[in-house]
Amino acid sequence: MSGIGAGLLLQLGLGALAVLTALTAAPSLRSRAVGILCTLIAVIGFLTGLGAMLGATGGLRISIALPIDPLLLAPDRLGGLFMLIVSSVGILVSLYSMSSTHGPDASRTAWVAMPVFLVGMQLVPAATDSVSFLLALEIMTLGSTVLLLADHASRATVASAGIWYSAMSQLSFFFILAGFAVLAAASGGTSFTNLQEIEPVPANVAFVLLLLGFGGKAELVPLHVWVPRVLPEAPSHVSAAMSGAMVKIGVYGGLLVSVRLLPDGPAWWGIAIMVVGGASALYGILQASVSSDLKVLLAYSTTENMGLVFLALGASMLLRGYDAQAAADAALVAALLLAVSHAAFKSTLFLGAGAIIHATGERNLDRLGGLGARMPVTAAAFGIASLGAAAIPITSGFVAEWMLLQSLIHGGRLDGAVVSVAASVAMPLAVAVIALTAGLALLTFVKAYGIAFLARPRSTEAAEAHEVPPLMQLSLVLGALFVLALGLLPGPIAALVAQTVSSNPSAAVQSVGLGGVSLPGIGAVLDPLMLVVLSVLVAIPVIVSIIVSALRYPHRTVELPWGGGGSRARPRMQYTATSYAEPLVRVFDDVLKPSRDVQVTHVAESRYLVERVRVEQRVSDVFETRLYRPVLNLFQRYGIVVRHIANGSIHRYLSYSFVALLIVLIVVSL
Amino acid sequence: MFENIYPQLIGLCAGALLLTSALMVWRHSLLASIRLLALQGIALAALVAVIGIAEGESELVLVSLLILSVKGIGLPWVLAYQSKASIKQIQESPRLNPTAALLTVTLLTILSYVVVSRVFGLGDSSTGHAAPIGLAMVLIGFLLLISRRRARSQLIGFLLLDNGIATITFLTSGGVPILLEFAFSLDVLLVVLILHVFAGRMRTKFGGTAVDQLRELHD
Repeated sequence: MSGIGAGLLLQLGLGALAVLTALTAAPSLRSRAVGILCTLIAVIGFLTGLGAMLGATGGLRISIALPIDPLLLAPDRLGGLFMLIVSSVGILVSLYSMSSTHGPDASRTAWVAMPVFLVGMQLVPAATDSVSFLLALEIMTLGSTVLLLADHASRATVASAGIWYSAMSQLSFFFILAGFAVLAAASGGTSFTNLQEIEPVPANVAFVLLLLGFGGKAELVPLHVWVPRVLPEAPSHVSAAMSGAMVKIGVYGGLLVSVRLLPDGPAWWGIAIMVVGGASALYGILQASVSSDLKVLLAYSTTENMGLVFLALGASMLLRGYDAQAAADAALVAALLLAVSHAAFKSTLFLGAGAIIHATGERNLDRLGGLGARMPVTAAAFGIASLGAAAIPITSGFVAEWMLLQSLIHGGRLDGAVVSVAASVAMPLAVAVIALTAGLALLTFVKAYGIAFLARPRSTEAAEAHEVPPLMQLSLVLGALFVLALGLLPGPIAALVAQTVSSNPSAAVQSVGLGGVSLPGIGAVLDPLMLVVLSVLVAIPVIVSIIVSALRYPHRTVELPWGGGGSRARPRMQYTATSYAEPLVRVFDDVLKPSRDVQVTHVAESRYLVERVRVEQRVSDVFETRLYRPVLNLFQRYGIVVRHIANGSIHRYLSYSFVALLIVLIVVSL
Repeated sequence: MFENIYPQLIGLCAGALLLTSALMVWRHSLLASIRLLALQGIALAALVAVIGIAEGESELVLVSLLILSVKGIGLPWVLAYQSKASIKQIQESPRLNPTAALLTVTLLTILSYVVVSRVFGLGDSSTGHAAPIGLAMVLIGFLLLISRRRARSQLIGFLLLDNGIATITFLTSGGVPILLEFAFSLDVLLVVLILHVFAGRMRTKFGGTAVDQLRELHD
């Protein structure tokens, strides 16, 4: 058996062992024991994925009794990359959850679901036939649903989120299943190698179905409605795993379709993916920027990031169709880098949000503040991850967006000539979308970090916060280091990533200088480490002269008159998350449709004096209120009508079968 | 000698089966229905025995004994296990009046003849000619299931349906291996026992076994 096969088998075995341990271990030992096993599962997945990404072949072949191709788990390079992403997040989450879980999150059910979730997630990219792919996908969904529902008894919102999640994940699953069914019917086999060479009509149908399905898994608009409910309500380590890893399975599905199964599609496929991605990116970041709930903010930001990934993927498909190979490869590598960096910074951010909830019990930004001094490690990790999410240089997000912008700007032209009208319209529009998204993302994460960690505490819970246990700190620090490493050494990583999708990787991406990245086809170079060294060299004389002059003049203490106005300022006078985002809400009023409620209470003696003003602002999801509610209401009305047909009377049900039987008999004998 | 009366015997048994089925729909008393079920079991056993003797298969004769003991004696005895006095009082108030029910039975019988002759062909053998009776019994059993209110009357409908399936099997394919027949009989016996206990529980709990009052289960 090959190393890859052994690794997959080991993951399955460890998964079974972890489930058994979770069932039998004493409650005091459970978190530690199963947490260690989950970490091991993720480590094995990491090694297997690394092996597969570097080109090792082999796998597991499971023969089944059904008359279809045998189940085959044999990850290729791309699958290996995604196994690597998923299991890296798995390592962070497992380490973190060992000390973060308590109460219902650490129940037997939750700990049984955790290894199931991890193993399912790690097996999806390993699958090389549609049956085992769907099987692993369902195992993953099952595990995540149970994990989400861990705390359903004490919070009603969790149960509602569970229903939304189940409904939406099954809807996506239905689309994926239908898409694979169309492909299998057209090609006559379930193995991915058979699912090629398809006629245009079934290929188009399958493409639309699979795009809808994987778009739903990747939280794209308009199938994203579960995200702002589920990710905030799930325990934080689960949200981190969902947003950091599970969502990448949707990306993997998109890549599987566009790179492996249906590589030579018409131009409108690329444009469709770009439109969906661009809309998701804009809508996601807009909702995130006005949200004052930290986890809702992070959830919507996930939609934004996945939108960017799909935008890059669509651009790559479009450019490949016009033979702009270098730009297409760069866009594809940018999509992968976006996915990798999102996995790093978003899982760190969610784990950081979990640390904040662990310390304060609050996730409403309007009631946080001043945590930077009280939780320095969390603050540092969250800050670095925020920089990554805002795509600031020397972090991972910047490199990916830079590469994407390079490919979009240079992609519309090949040897100086415009490749096509469609591309020359789509590319500048995409650049504009990314620019707006990047600006809003910066605002969003300035808000998230600034309101939560800086200024003064806005509630007693925030004032009494303490740093989280060491194991949680360790995973936060690891995540932040990932973000920095990806940002400082993009060259080797990009070159490695390019090997998974490009036939000629060195023509697309090269590693130059001190871990810098170069795009030979486009002629662009980025070397963050060199830039850091340069800026340090520039900064050293300035810093030295500041220190010298500070030493020369003695320090004087100056008492500002009236404390400069700051000494009497109360925490309530500070900016809150809501007030910080208020201008944005006004600007994007037409898109966000916020509902405001202002209640003024007057003093009893005079109507001219105000005792209290209460302002409430709610931003609801437009897609939910305008698209899903009407459909759900329709179903509800239909359900009420149908209730008369199925009224619980056994005689009526028997009559239905009797009448059906008679009809069948009559039809048969006609 | 036997060859001459064989078709008549088959016709007699099949006729008895159909007659008992129709009477079960007509009669409302539970005790009468149970007695008719016992008669039907005996007729079915006789049918199997006749086929067995005609085909010269001793195994079928054994099967007929098994059927006689289970369907002719065992099941009716289980159903009538209560004291005779209380069971006499149980009167079914069906959802279909007797005239309409008997008319429906006629229509179902005609339908089953049409279906069997059109789809499978009646064939030349006397068993083939009687085959539609089995289908008619299945349909009549179903009719009983949907028209009776009480759990135990429905049970009788279910047993009639089962008898119908057995009749079809014996008339078309000359029966099934004894082991299978044994397993089927045990299954039916078990189901009846469970449902019987269940009906008893329902009566002590709700004071009646009228199934159509149990609508609240749907939530």
